[in-house]
Amino acid sequence: MKTPLLVIGGGLSGIAAAIRAARFIPDVLLLEKHHRLGGLNSYFYRHGLLFETGLHAITNYAEPRDKKAPLNRLLRQLKLPRDTFNFLPQRQSEILFHGCASLLFSNDFNLFQEEIKRQFPASADNFAALVAFLDGFDPFVIRPFRSTRQFLVERLREPLLQEMLLCPLLYYGSSHSNDIDLSQFAIMFRAIYQEGMFRPGGNIKEFLDTLRNHYLSLGGSLRTGCGVARIVCSGERVERVILADGEELECDYLLSTIGYHETLRLLAESTAAPPAALAGPRLGFIENIYLLKTPPTAPPLSDKTIIFYNKGDTFSYQRPDQPVDFHSGVICLPGNFAQLPPRLHQEIRSTHLASYPLWRQLADDPAAYLAEKQSSSLRSLVELESVLGPFRETILYENNFTPVTIERYTGKLEGAIYGNPAKIKDGDIGYRNLFLAGTDQGFLGIVGAMLSGVSIVNSQILPNL
Amino acid sequence: MTSTEIQELILEIIQDIDDEADFSDLDPDQPLRDQLDLDSMDFLDIVMELRKRHKLQIPEEDYPRLATLNSCVSYLTPLLHDA
Repeated sequence: MKTPLLVIGGGLSGIAAAIRAARFIPDVLLLEKHHRLGGLNSYFYRHGLLFETGLHAITNYAEPRDKKAPLNRLLRQLKLPRDTFNFLPQRQSEILFHGCASLLFSNDFNLFQEEIKRQFPASADNFAALVAFLDGFDPFVIRPFRSTRQFLVERLREPLLQEMLLCPLLYYGSSHSNDIDLSQFAIMFRAIYQEGMFRPGGNIKEFLDTLRNHYLSLGGSLRTGCGVARIVCSGERVERVILADGEELECDYLLSTIGYHETLRLLAESTAAPPAALAGPRLGFIENIYLLKTPPTAPPLSDKTIIFYNKGDTFSYQRPDQPVDFHSGVICLPGNFAQLPPRLHQEIRSTHLASYPLWRQLADDPAAYLAEKQSSSLRSLVELESVLGPFRETILYENNFTPVTIERYTGKLEGAIYGNPAKIKDGDIGYRNLFLAGTDQGFLGIVGAMLSGVSIVNSQILPNL
Repeated sequence: MTSTEIQELILEIIQDIDDEADFSDLDPDQPLRDQLDLDSMDFLDIVMELRKRHKLQIPEEDYPRLATLNSCVSYLTPLLHDA
């Protein structure tokens, strides 16, 4: 039987695309290589406990009444009533440049504006003008890459404020070294500073289960543990895919959410245009998780939800020449969301930029790799304690994953969670019935990834069926 | 389908997209999108629902003809006269 639409990749963009399509097309089939859904936002078990990967917080918080907000538009498109989920807003987050300044922000943009007025009075008017510019800017019009750094130099007087504004936005959504496309900046500025952050009340597994059950209830089919070995084309038309076990599936349309180069590798005889010029290397990250013995009733180490820290007044966002760059990082306290029911253990997570090539090299020697992982965990702890105060005595379990781990479990080349630095915003990679959604289409973050899946189905598939 | 039935069909589809949609002040000659806070993504749902329910294939270039409630009726009447 010929499948009307095959979706490769069961991460959040693939799931969202499959749900959107299954609302109107029978027999949509979603293929996921791993035995679990979620892609970068998934989970694993250690010591009998569930650990989340990826998810710190979801950006784009919106109240249910705000119909035009991306979060609510997304839920309408998927036909998932808002009250299906128990979304918990963040308490308060911080941009902390050690020895320089600190800016607090929350889901109330006024707080951030006040903080900027207080810390950067000379730039208050310029910041207000920047906000006004962004409010009138349509980031969804497809334009060539424009440097946000250059843009901010022209708009804001104080370099420290430019660096501080960029730090969270690059960490949560830039595939580029030391910069971000202006359209992406506008999307992220709204998503993080103007809308804010939240998380689902349950864990990521429950969130994924809800999406999967909804998809199945719409009549969609799902195969996990099902890798694609090859995509077979005739000219510019995909005819079928060959699975890892040799089974062949014919399809009318194919949507790939696994990344641009990851998709090209599956195309036997590629007629696609050569890759868009790479704007520097792919960026890798290391993620550390510390689970504490302290009971959930004990006061948390901090009242912040996320802390973006940087040492000094210049923020470097690039592949480090060491395995990990501890000059900056993201600290997440997943317990600090409003109304979150107490968990068994307090948890602290940290993310830093990491070098895929150096970790790849280390992985050839398992003992050295493990030793470097352990020393990275300890080194990150030093940074965490300098922000949160001492807590190492209370650590029950710790775990970390490197760009090599991420590549192994998600198939993302070089473990680069934000994918190829250059994006293909219309999802068109030179085929008549094969399109790209997800990370390399360019909308990042959980809401972004899901909107990417939905918008490519809307623009490239539904109108043509 | 009569004009009234087509109107009801469209409103029912919109209600299904947004169960809080308020039709009390709806002007049938003004764009639905502006009055009901629908965006282009929601608008596509109207097209897709018409397809799903009545096997109507509406080409993209005809989407503007679904802009207002009255233009929907005039566009859909010949297409749905047997429905």
